[in-house]
Amino acid sequence: MSDIAESPTENQKDEPSIQHNVTEHAGSPDEKKKIDILLKAVGDAPIMKTKKWAVERGRTVQSLAQFISRFLKLEPSEQLFIYVNQSFSPSPDQEVGVLFECFGSDGKLVLHYCKSQAWG
Amino acid sequence: MAGERHSSSCYLDERTFRHCCQVFLQHSVTIQDGWSWEEIKGADEGFMRKTVLIPVRSDTSHHHDVCSVQTENTESLTEELQADVEDEAAGVQAVCESPVVLRYEYHVVYSSSYQIPVLYFRVSTLDGRSVSLEEVWSNVHPNYRQRLRQEPWDTLTQQEHPLLGQPFFMLHPCRTEEFMKPALDLAQSQHKRLNYIVTWLSVVGPVVGLDVPLSYITAVSAPD
Repeated sequence: MSDIAESPTENQKDEPSIQHNVTEHAGSPDEKKKIDILLKAVGDAPIMKTKKWAVERGRTVQSLAQFISRFLKLEPSEQLFIYVNQSFSPSPDQEVGVLFECFGSDGKLVLHYCKSQAWG
Repeated sequence: MAGERHSSSCYLDERTFRHCCQVFLQHSVTIQDGWSWEEIKGADEGFMRKTVLIPVRSDTSHHHDVCSVQTENTESLTEELQADVEDEAAGVQAVCESPVVLRYEYHVVYSSSYQIPVLYFRVSTLDGRSVSLEEVWSNVHPNYRQRLRQEPWDTLTQQEHPLLGQPFFMLHPCRTEEFMKPALDLAQSQHKRLNYIVTWLSVVGPVVGLDVPLSYITAVSAPD
C-alpha cells in the first residue's frame, strides 16, 4: 500500500489518474479515521436530503452541528439540538469518534436532531 | 408510570425530580463525579450540588483581571499584562496573579412554578472574589454564547436562590420545553423512558461549563 502511495508523488503532474486511484486504494486507512453517522430528524425538524455521512473521528459535535445548521439553512437565532442514544445531548467538545465507540451499532452512529423556534 | 403519563409534556413533578436525582446521584458516587444532595432543614425540599474548578477560556482576552497563559495569545493581552509577558523568555508561561481557574458551584433546583428543574450556579475566584455576570458570559461555551446573548430575554441572570436566598446566576428555563419535548417524544416512540435530569443536564450543563460524562447515559435509568 505504501509503495503505491509513494509513486504518484513523482508522477503527480503527468498522471493525475493514478493519484486518484491511489486515493481510492488508500481508502482503507482513511475509512478507519472516519465513522458513519446517520442523522434523523425529530419532531418538526427539517429532514436532511442526505442522511448518512462519513465524518472524521476527531470532529467535534459542535463542528457537526454547525455543518447541519448550514446544510439545513437555519437562521442564526435557531439552535440545533443533537441527541445520542435518543436520550442525551453530547457536549459540543465531544468527539464523534468517542460517541461512535460508545453508542455506534451496525457500523454507524445514529444521531437525532431538532431545532428550536426562532425567536421574534 | 410517570414517564408515560407525561409523555407529551415536558413538565416534571417534584417527586419524579427527586427520584431522578437519586438515581443520578448513585452513578455520580460510582464515578466520583462530585454531586451531592442537599436537604433543606425543616422543609421537604432539596437540591443537587457540585463544585468544579474550571479554567478560564483562553479567548477571554478583554478582561484586565484575566490572564491567558497561552503564548500564542500574547498579542491579545492588554497592555497591563503585556509588560509582564515581555519580561519572560519566549515559550515560558507568564507568571500571572490573575485567576486562570474559577470555582463554579452548580445547583440543580426544582422550580415548582415552572414545574421543571433549573440550573443555578455561583462563580468565584480561588481567593473568594465573586465574579461578575460579564465574566461569566465570557466563559460560556462559544457554541452558545453569541446566540444566547441575542435572546430577547435575559438568558443568564443573577437571581436569589429559591432555597438558600443567596445571589446565584441562573440559566433561564424558558427553552427547556424546546429541547426536552423532542427527547421525551423520541424516547416514548422507542418505548424507552429517560431520566429527565440526565437528559436535561446534558443540554444545559455544557452551556455553562458543566460536563456530564457519557456514562450517565447508559448507567442511569428512569426512576421506577
